Amino acid sequence: MHHRHRAGVVHPRRAALAVALAVAVAASGCDLLTTEAPDPGEVFDGPVDGLTAAELAAFVRGDREFGRPFAPSEGLGPIFNNVSCAACHSADGRGRIENALTRFSIGLDPALELGGPQIQDKAIPGAEAERLPAGVQVSVRLPPPVFGVGLIEAIPEATILALTDSLDTDGDGISGRPNWVTPPDFVPADEPGGGPEPRLGRFSRKAQVASILHQVAGAYHQDMGITSDFLPVENRNPLASRATEAADRVADPEIPAGTVRAVVNYVRLLAPPAPGADSPPRRQGAALFGSLGCARCHVPVLQTGPNPVAALANQPVRLYSDLLLHDMGDGLADNRPDGSASGSEWRTAPLWGLRLMRRFLNGDAFLLHDGRARSIEEAILLHGGEAQTARDGFAALGPDARAAVLDFVGSR
Amino acid sequence: MVRLRRAVPALALLAAGLAARGAAQDTTRAPRPFVEGGVFDKPYLSRLLGRTAIGGYAEAHARWERADGATEEAGFLLRRWNIFTATQVSDFVRIAAELEFEEGGEEITVEYAAIDVGIHPALTVRAGMLLSPLGRFNLSHDSPRNEFTDRPLVSTELLGVALSEPGLGVLGLVGLGGATRLTYELYAVNGFDDGLISDAAEGTRVALGRRNVEDNNSSPALVGRAAWSPRVGYEVGVSSHHGAYNVYRSEGVAVDERRDLTIWVVDAEARVAGVRVVGEAAAATIDVPPGLRGIYASRQRGLYVEALRPFGRAWVRTMPGSFFAAGARLDVVDFDADIPGDVVRRVTVGLNFRPTQDTVLKLNFVRGRTTDRFNNPSDQAGLLFSVATYF
Ligand code: HEC
Ligand code: HEC
Repeated sequence: MHHRHRAGVVHPRRAALAVALAVAVAASGCDLLTTEAPDPGEVFDGPVDGLTAAELAAFVRGDREFGRPFAPSEGLGPIFNNVSCAACHSADGRGRIENALTRFSIGLDPALELGGPQIQDKAIPGAEAERLPAGVQVSVRLPPPVFGVGLIEAIPEATILALTDSLDTDGDGISGRPNWVTPPDFVPADEPGGGPEPRLGRFSRKAQVASILHQVAGAYHQDMGITSDFLPVENRNPLASRATEAADRVADPEIPAGTVRAVVNYVRLLAPPAPGADSPPRRQGAALFGSLGCARCHVPVLQTGPNPVAALANQPVRLYSDLLLHDMGDGLADNRPDGSASGSEWRTAPLWGLRLMRRFLNGDAFLLHDGRARSIEEAILLHGGEAQTARDGFAALGPDARAAVLDFVGSR
Repeated sequence: MVRLRRAVPALALLAAGLAARGAAQDTTRAPRPFVEGGVFDKPYLSRLLGRTAIGGYAEAHARWERADGATEEAGFLLRRWNIFTATQVSDFVRIAAELEFEEGGEEITVEYAAIDVGIHPALTVRAGMLLSPLGRFNLSHDSPRNEFTDRPLVSTELLGVALSEPGLGVLGLVGLGGATRLTYELYAVNGFDDGLISDAAEGTRVALGRRNVEDNNSSPALVGRAAWSPRVGYEVGVSSHHGAYNVYRSEGVAVDERRDLTIWVVDAEARVAGVRVVGEAAAATIDVPPGLRGIYASRQRGLYVEALRPFGRAWVRTMPGSFFAAGARLDVVDFDADIPGDVVRRVTVGLNFRPTQDTVLKLNFVRGRTTDRFNNPSDQAGLLFSVATYF
């Protein structure tokens, strides 16, 4: 506003003009006023390029559901681990150690009568949370990133199976085994990863899940205590008295199939972030990544096949994983088999998005299946089993070469 | 607060109020009100002719809000439309009520309806649906008095302003010589209910435990405020609300452990070089059920500070009582004091024009940042324009 003498007179029209001017100036102050959209390559929650308007509309709807927290009066629990997908998968990336899940079983027996295969350590008022029983095999699982799972799903089974070397016929000490998974009944046969026959497991830490639908409906049911048309019966704490189940006040199913489908589509369409810029030391790091044998498991790029979503069809997937199981030695073993994965086998963790890991974990780093490694270097040094040779090769590098490998891995 | 399904009871009250007009007693605004802008300091009271007065206020917004580069809202709303009535029943007894129609009439609540029996300036008994004396803003939150379009975040998001509860208690004023005085209010009220956990999806939200109209747990809560003021325009107040919010006894049987909610609020007002500075800081501690610890907060806090400088009195020739005011406000609410994230911060700058004291046009620019429980930030900005007036 202009300053004027007391004696002067502001005509209402002039005052209105001044206000309009202030608005206009503010409006042209762009970012300060409009806020800034993050660069699409710098986030974990952006859509893949080239989606149709209808696919984007579905993406937006699923995004809302992914972020939606449930209150106890909206169906949360009675026993559960967290209130929303986004509460575990930070900004659609990985989670923190505080958000990790605890699975347990007795050998291959999921120990349902003890509350297995997953501990729900939270409960709504009136219900009893589960506690870990003694004498069971325990597996702590850090939430992995959820971006890029549509690309992972779109890679033909044959492409992944071509990388297997179960009997290590090439003698490099690296085998790579598929986890064959029998899809649950609620996954329709025409759904990717569905059908009566065992299918290639691709998702979760031991690749024990073959379809995104299985993963998502299971997450609602097990992680949040939200029943759906796919899994309509509430998960219960078998060690608590039946009476406590009345704490849940919402009729089942608590969400319709459409909500689960919306979230399946959402994660399916999530793009991985862009890798960092190229540089000479980085190229040296990439070369060492290959020569040390890292790339035998962390396969830099796989190709998708035909797909009903045009944007996912025939695309390079720069995930740095073969999506197969590898024996990682006793140090990393949880000694808890999962499907056909043994107690020491883990799916090769994709390395995409490591560049932005700390940004979405409040500056921290949590790596490996249980988040025990607090830096990329520590994660590499904890490799064993089939990766022992590669790990030792890395450990033997001089400081510059080591830094180059770390820089390369940390730039993906 | 009572939710009324239809507007009929509201209209009946209005009609009853009108019918009661015309009798003797004149109620005028006190020269120095008990709470400035409080229940008995409204402009409609100074125009009172008969025994009962009817007045109110209304507030309408135009909002343009953005978050992380996308438009979240661009629209208009009739935020609220409230009616007040007050009756001086006798020299010692008065009754006042406020009905609030929010969001286009979808929600109608009895925000205030209480009987005062004045025994002595230092002792009045008050009973009914009370405005809880929890922070100065809750006692004086009418839109035409609020200098910014939105209420302070600590008030709406943490304390749940407007907070009114059925209760019974006392209030009074003690002169301490000169203009200095001490005022107090102390009530037993129904308190909050466990909606603050059970209906809260995003973690503990005290505001969702309001509206405990039919007491849930037969365990009254206490709420009180004491304020010391050396002269007009300067005041410091301390208030607290304490009580059990869950049902821990039912038909004489212990059915749960007792869980308490305790809130402390400090408020202050002062004038510095022609600038009116007002602020409030609140802290809440909540006993969280064992199964929800770690994801539902047990400690929350927040504050707001605002500064306002009036200028340009009678600049507008045709409106001799008119003036402008420029102001700024800082809002911070930490929804979980035990983790780094889950915080809302906001800065508001505003320009107001008041054609008369009782009507205000507000133009605000707001810029804010919220963080989720992982401490991931999200940025907000907005241009808000609103009109509010007493009638
Ligand atoms: C309590 C924390 C938690 C919640 C809540 C949760 N997840 Fe997960 N999520 C995990 C963990 C842990 C894993 C890995 C599980 C494993 O290895 O067995 C996982 C795995 C996944 C994967 C597989 C990613 C991959 O690379 O294989 C997807 C997809 C996923 N979650 C999506 C979701 C969705 C969608 C929701 C909400 C409906 C959700 N999650 C809720 C913890 C959680
Ligand atoms: C035999 C296969 C194999 C080889 C060789 C291998 N890795 Fe891995 N890598 C894995 C598996 C499997 C995991 C996941 C282990 C777990 O979850 O505990 C993993 C995890 C990682 C992680 C952690 C990723 C995360 O998100 O937690 C990094 C970083 C990594 N590898 C880097 C390397 C580098 C660098 C090399 C070469 C020096 C290498 N790896 C060699 C199989 C391999």
